[in-house]
Amino acid sequence: MKEEKQRSFKMSNVTEVLMPLMGEGVHEATLTNWLVKEGAKIEKDSPLLELSTDKVDTEIPAPASGYLVKIICTVGTTVKVGQVLAQIASSPDATVSAPSAGDAQSSAAKVPATEVPSVTLNATAGSQGQSESDESPLRSSPLVRKIAKDKGIDLGQVSGSGMHGRITKKDILDFAENPTAAAAPSAPAKSEMPAVPTQSQAQLSTTKVGGEELLEGVAVRREPMTRMRQLIADHMVESVRVSPHVTTVFEMDLHKIWEIREKYKDSFYKNEGFKLTLTHFFIHAAVQAIKLHPIVNTSVDGYDILWKKDINVGCAVALDNGLIVPVIKKAGDLNLLGIARRMNDLIVRARSKKLKAEDVQGGTFTITNPGGWGSITSNPIINQPQVAILGIGAAVKRPSVVNDMIAIRPMMMMSLTFDHRAIDGEGGAKYLASLKEIIENYQDLPV
Amino acid sequence: MSTSSFDLVVIGSGPGGEVGAIKAAQMGLKVALVEKAEHLGGTCLNWGCIPTKALLHSAKLWDKLKTIEEQGIEIGQPKFHWNKILERKDKIVDAQRKGLRFLMKKNKIEVFEGHGRLTGKTGVSITAKDGKITQIESKAVLLATGSRVKELPFAKSNGKNVLNSDHILSIDHVPKSLAVIGGGVVGTEFASLFARMGSEVTIIELLPQILPSEDGECVKEMERNLKKQGITLDTGTKLKAIADDGKQVKVSCEGKDDRFFDKVLLSIGREPVTEDIGLDKVGLTSEKGGFLKVDEHYRTAVPNIFAIGDIIPTPALAHTASAEAYHAVEVIAGHNPPLINYSANPNAIYTYPEIASIGLTEEKCKEQKLEYLVAKFPFAPMPKAKIEDATVGFIKIIYEPKYRELLGVHIIGASATEMISEFALGKVLETTVDEIGHTIHPHPTLSETIAEAAHVALGGAIHM
Repeated sequence: MKEEKQRSFKMSNVTEVLMPLMGEGVHEATLTNWLVKEGAKIEKDSPLLELSTDKVDTEIPAPASGYLVKIICTVGTTVKVGQVLAQIASSPDATVSAPSAGDAQSSAAKVPATEVPSVTLNATAGSQGQSESDESPLRSSPLVRKIAKDKGIDLGQVSGSGMHGRITKKDILDFAENPTAAAAPSAPAKSEMPAVPTQSQAQLSTTKVGGEELLEGVAVRREPMTRMRQLIADHMVESVRVSPHVTTVFEMDLHKIWEIREKYKDSFYKNEGFKLTLTHFFIHAAVQAIKLHPIVNTSVDGYDILWKKDINVGCAVALDNGLIVPVIKKAGDLNLLGIARRMNDLIVRARSKKLKAEDVQGGTFTITNPGGWGSITSNPIINQPQVAILGIGAAVKRPSVVNDMIAIRPMMMMSLTFDHRAIDGEGGAKYLASLKEIIENYQDLPV
Repeated sequence: MSTSSFDLVVIGSGPGGEVGAIKAAQMGLKVALVEKAEHLGGTCLNWGCIPTKALLHSAKLWDKLKTIEEQGIEIGQPKFHWNKILERKDKIVDAQRKGLRFLMKKNKIEVFEGHGRLTGKTGVSITAKDGKITQIESKAVLLATGSRVKELPFAKSNGKNVLNSDHILSIDHVPKSLAVIGGGVVGTEFASLFARMGSEVTIIELLPQILPSEDGECVKEMERNLKKQGITLDTGTKLKAIADDGKQVKVSCEGKDDRFFDKVLLSIGREPVTEDIGLDKVGLTSEKGGFLKVDEHYRTAVPNIFAIGDIIPTPALAHTASAEAYHAVEVIAGHNPPLINYSANPNAIYTYPEIASIGLTEEKCKEQKLEYLVAKFPFAPMPKAKIEDATVGFIKIIYEPKYRELLGVHIIGASATEMISEFALGKVLETTVDEIGHTIHPHPTLSETIAEAAHVALGGAIHM
C-alpha cells in the first residue's frame, strides 16, 4: 500500500506554488485568502490565492493545471519570496510530503539571488505546515536550554538573533538581564544599509480582570492589525520621525475648471467610459506646478538633495481596510486625458486587487483627497522618501468677492505639507501660488 | 582611459577576496576583482597555505618511510628528489590557480590585473604592469589586500642565504643547517619540514615558548616532539645580528656564542598591506600596525567600503578571511547574516604532530579569571592510533563548570586539523561538553578520542 502510494507520487507531476517576486524590495507578504479549496481542480493561470504586501494586495494565479493537492501555508501566514505555498499535482490522489526546510531553501534559490531573503523561522514553520497557529518551533542550543532551565526562563518569550531565529547564549543572557527589552521584536533586526528601519509601535499596559482586558479601567476588545495596517503604522511613525512637517494652505476658485468639466463631461463619458472629475484637473495642475518648482519632487539623502528626473504622482486610494497609493508614472509627459486614463485604470485595479507591485512603486510626489468625504483641509503625512504631499479639500460653494462684488463660487482649500529639511515656507507657498494660478486659469481641456 | 561600473569591486584575490567576489556574483551582483600579482589566489595559494602544506605532506610521507620496515614492508633504500618535491608543489599550486581563473569566468567576475587603488568612495583605479590605468566605478568596495612578510630592521632577508617564507618555498636544496628566527606558526612549520627532510634545525625565539598563542600543555608536547625530531629549541633568546658572508650566515644572539648556519629563515610575522591603496582619497587612515578599523559587519568608516582578512585586527588566517568576506558581501547584498563567532574560529598548525584549536587556552582562562574545568584524553590508548602509528598527543577540552559550555579545545596529534571541525561546529551551535560525550563516534577512529575526552567531563573515560 505504502509502495503503491509512493509510486503514484512519482508518476504524477507535482508543481510547487512559490511565493513570486513581487517587485523591488518586496521580501514578504501575508497570505490573505485561498481562492481554491485543497483537493479541488484548477486551471493554469486561474486565480489561486491572495497575498497582501506593504505595497499591494494581489491575486496569484495557478502556475499549472491540475489538483491543489496540498496547501502548505495557511491564511494569515507571513510568507517569503521563493517559499513553497502549495503543491499542484496532475492527479488528485498524489501523496505529497511537505517539503523540508532544505527544499524551501532550494526552491528559494530559483529566484534571482539578490531578492532572496534568508529562510527564516516563520518560513520554515509555514512550509512544514504543521501548526494551525502561527507558533514556530523554537530554535535554541543545548547551552541555552540549560541556562533557561536553570534560570526558569520560558524560551517562548525570548527572541532569537541567530540563524533562522535561533536563540543564542547572548539572547538568553540579555533576556535574563532585561526581559522586556530583549523580548519585543518578532523579526531579527535588519542590517542597516539597504533596509528601511521600521519603528516598533508603543506598547500599552493593560490589566486582565475576569477574562476581560482593561485599559485604564475601560474594557477593550483586542484585535491584531492587518498586515497593511501594521505597515501603515510603521511608515507613518517613521515619516514623522524623519521629516519636520510644515503645512501651508491656499484657497482656490474652481469655477473655471467646473465650467470646463460641465462642458465636456457627457462627451468625455461617451468616449472614455468613465467620468471626467475635478481630481483629474488637480493632478494635471499639480504636475504642471511641479515643473515650475521641482524642489517638491526631490528626496533628502543625508545632506544631499536628490532631484528626480521623472514626475511620478502617487494618488492615495482608500480601500476597505486601509489605503493604497498607486502611481501615475511620468505624469509630466501626459496631457489631462492621459492622466485621467491612467488614474482610472489604477483605481479600477486597486479596488479589484489587481494592482501589480510596480504600480505602487517609484512615486515622487503624492496627492491625497480627503475632500471626497467633505473635509475642508487636512494635514497629511509625507510618503517617505518624498518631501511633499498635496492635500485636496472639499469643493464647496461660497460667497466670494470677485471684482468687489459678491459672487457664488466653488471654492476649495489646497494644502501642501512639506519636509522643512528641503523646502522652506517660501518654497511651499510659491508652489501653491503657482498651482492656484494654473487652476484658476484653465481656458479649455488642456491637451 | 575607459570606465565601467560595478556593484562591487574586490581588491585582492586571496582566500578573502576570491570568496567574497564569487559569493557576491552568486547573489547577482556585478563584480570586479583586482589583483596586482601575476596569479590569483593571494598569499594562501601562492606563498602560504597551499605550497607549504604540499611540502609538509611530502615530509610526512618521507618521515613514514624511515620506519616502514617496522610495518613489515621492505622497499630498499628510500630516496627523495627535492626538485621533484618542488615540482609536485608547483603543479598543485598551478592547478588551483587555473581552478580560480575558471571560477571567475564561471561566475562572470571581471578580473583586472594591476595595482588597485581607491580614487574616491565609488572609484577604483587599476594600474597595470605596463603603466596603463583603468578607472572603474563601483557601488561598494571590498578591501582584501592581505599581508606581506614582516622584516626586522636590523636583519633583512636577501634571498640568498637569509630567507623569508616566500624565498624558502623555492629553495633548490635541503640546507645542511637552518636557523629559524621566530617560533610562530610559520617558523615552526618550516622547522618541522626541513628537520624531517634532514636539515639540522635551530629555532630561535624571543619568548619563553614557541607557538606563543597556543595552549601551554600542547606547546610542551610539541616542543618534546620537535626535540625528538632533532630540532634545537633556543627559546627566550634575543637575536642581535645576522651576517651573510655568501657562504654561510653568522647568527649572533644576546648572551650566546655566535653560531653559523647554511641558511637562515626569518619568520617573525606578517604585516597588513594598507598603504598605497588610496585610503587617503576617501579619508580613511590605518590604525596602529597598519590595520583598518571596521565594525562587526566589516564596514569601514566609509559606509560602502568594507575590509576583511589580514588588514583588520582579527586572526590572520585564510579561512577567517574567507568567512569575513562571505559575511561582508552578504551585508552588501542586503542580507542580515549572523555575526562571526570568533571563539569558534579554528587555528591549525601543520607540523608533526599537528596542533588545532578553538577558543581560549588554559592560560587565557586563568588570565580572565574564568571558572573552568579540563577534560583531557590521550590518543595512545585508542586502537586506531596504534594502527595508524599516531599515538602521539591528546585532546584537551576546557569547559565552564555550571552550564558546561565549551571554552576552548586544543588538539595535538596526527590529524588534529581535521578533527577540530567537530568542535568548531559544536561551538557555533553552542553545544556543551555533555552532547559531545553523548554523540556516537565511529569505531575505530582517531575521532572517537573526542568522545572519550568528553567522557572525562561526564565522570570518567571508558578506556583508561
